[in-house]
Amino acid sequence: MTAAGRPRWVNLNTLLGVFWLLAALLFLFHLVPNHIEEPPMVQNPLQSPRWLPSVAGWLVALLSLALIVEGCLRPPVRDPDAAEGGAPAWRWLLMLAGFAAYWLLFEPLGATAAGILGTLLLFAAHPVRRPWLYLLAIALPWLVSLLFVHVLNVPMPSGTLWD
Amino acid sequence: MEGVSEVLNLFLSLDNFMAIGIGVLIGVVVGAIPGLTATMAVALALPFTFSLEPVTAILLLVGIYKGGMYGGSITAILIHTPGSPAAACTLLDGYPLTLQGKAKKALQMALYASCIADVLSNLALILFASYLAKIALNFGPPEFFWLICFSLTIIVSIAGESAIKGLIAASLGVIVASIGMDVVYGSQRLTFDNYNLMDRVSFVPLLIGLFAVPEVIDFYLKKAAPHVRAASSGLGLTLKELRASLKTIVRGSLIGVIIGAIPGTGATAASFISYSEAKRRSPNRQNFGKGELEGVAAAESGNNGVAGATLIPLLSLGIPGDVITAIILGAFMIHGLTPGPVLFQENLTLIYALFCGIMLSSAVLLFVGHGVIRYFSLVADIPKAILLPIVLMFCVYGAFAVNNSVFDIGLMLFFGVVGYLFNRTGFATAPFLLGFILGPMFEDNLRRTLLIGRGDPAIFFRGPITWLFVALTALSLFFAVRRYWQERIAARPDAAPRAHPGTGDSGR
Repeated sequence: MTAAGRPRWVNLNTLLGVFWLLAALLFLFHLVPNHIEEPPMVQNPLQSPRWLPSVAGWLVALLSLALIVEGCLRPPVRDPDAAEGGAPAWRWLLMLAGFAAYWLLFEPLGATAAGILGTLLLFAAHPVRRPWLYLLAIALPWLVSLLFVHVLNVPMPSGTLWD
Repeated sequence: MEGVSEVLNLFLSLDNFMAIGIGVLIGVVVGAIPGLTATMAVALALPFTFSLEPVTAILLLVGIYKGGMYGGSITAILIHTPGSPAAACTLLDGYPLTLQGKAKKALQMALYASCIADVLSNLALILFASYLAKIALNFGPPEFFWLICFSLTIIVSIAGESAIKGLIAASLGVIVASIGMDVVYGSQRLTFDNYNLMDRVSFVPLLIGLFAVPEVIDFYLKKAAPHVRAASSGLGLTLKELRASLKTIVRGSLIGVIIGAIPGTGATAASFISYSEAKRRSPNRQNFGKGELEGVAAAESGNNGVAGATLIPLLSLGIPGDVITAIILGAFMIHGLTPGPVLFQENLTLIYALFCGIMLSSAVLLFVGHGVIRYFSLVADIPKAILLPIVLMFCVYGAFAVNNSVFDIGLMLFFGVVGYLFNRTGFATAPFLLGFILGPMFEDNLRRTLLIGRGDPAIFFRGPITWLFVALTALSLFFAVRRYWQERIAARPDAAPRAHPGTGDSGR
């Protein structure tokens, strides 16, 4: 038993080991047979498209077992940083909203508008105190979009909503 | 004498000097922006060279290439975001140095290591081009297979706090690299009928996701901390510190030269091998990964040592060593020149004019690098609340620009979450990246070897070069395992006080 009253084997490494072991078994017995096509004729088993992913999968399984054993024998000491309090929920929700703006609205809004929206959301998530700095969140995505389109010749989406 | 004057006549023109200066500057700036790679910059600059003289055109592209190789290290050191894949190794020690207020030292070490490696690489190109290319020409799939096996052994060295977790991460990297259409049989591997995955997982979104996005996520998930000014204006590098790392720089440069001369191996592998070698030999190996100047020197010299050397097979044999030299090969052809032995016979003047320009580019890199350090050091002093949203914007635009695909933005964000979880659970991301890069090379050369050997395993041990790499692989594994056990014994509670009380498997 640890000082926290938990059994000695309940620790991050053991849990990670169990997670990766289950993931490796799922990969080896479900994903490899069902989602990697085996050609009708392979000259050598080592040349099969399944060979390298299978070897890597078995390696993950074996190493996960080693991680479980290590976790049981030598439990890791808790990282003092992990005990620190996290950010308020609204902050990471705004961050997720920023990510979603980039991913889901990049084509509908266009690169510039999605960039402005994403940057503004992230500026608000960890509040930038000086209001004039929010102009940066508008000017920079606009300038960088122009750079990409006109200088680097990268066609950026202009926004299907505005068409 | 007449030849010398012809060379100087061809080289000493304002256009050439401007091409080198602008090329290096563009390369450094683009290389420093996450998501924009030197490859992309060289490719985009190619149409601008149509109207230039051949020497000027090639020097512009070479300048961008060299500037990009160095530029990647700037953001790797300052904001934990490698500007280029080859700079991924530089951040292992560069960023911890920034956190310790030694950003200027790290940047200067990166610059000097890059320039020294660049000069040595150029000298190798000029002096040993034909000789080294001849050795590389003898390399077949079995030799490449063992070279990659040797490269894979360095995973143990860069695994971070836990070798087991590092190896799991590397295996996961290999699995992710296997996604896509199989190049030999054309069968689909783990694509789930998604056409975006047919052509493998894109490298740039994965790289940005693993190394840049976790930083953003971590910042917004942690309790707000007061802004700590990154002391980029801290003390500069002393001559003593540079001298202490000189051996490492020369070694790293030679590693870069050898690897660069072998087509297809690349600067990323060179920087990791150089780093691993430096760590193996350094008396300060415990400091590697925690802010060791020698680590920055090793990574940067390895990666820049490649730059000149990749031109060896290109110029003497017409074989491009990497993507950028393939684009430069295209530039030669656009100007009616075919790199190879014939070029040495028919256009020797042009070759030597190029050599002059390539040597000059190292000096220009030093000059531009100094100016840019001062400018880019400001990046470290910007509060993260302002900087990170801008970094994310560059990441998103850069990830999109690779294939003009929103799918790549999602991929980048996905690998960002993976990278964040890896960091939180003690898995190092560098072995994942190495597995991702080396996995397909390993498989490709294994298959080729089996094909040319018709399944006979004796082909793997067909000559002295293969045996050399077998021995190097075995030795590397032996020393890695021995060091691992020694450090574990040292980390036991009944042994000397532990160096690192973080985790149970620490002390590595």
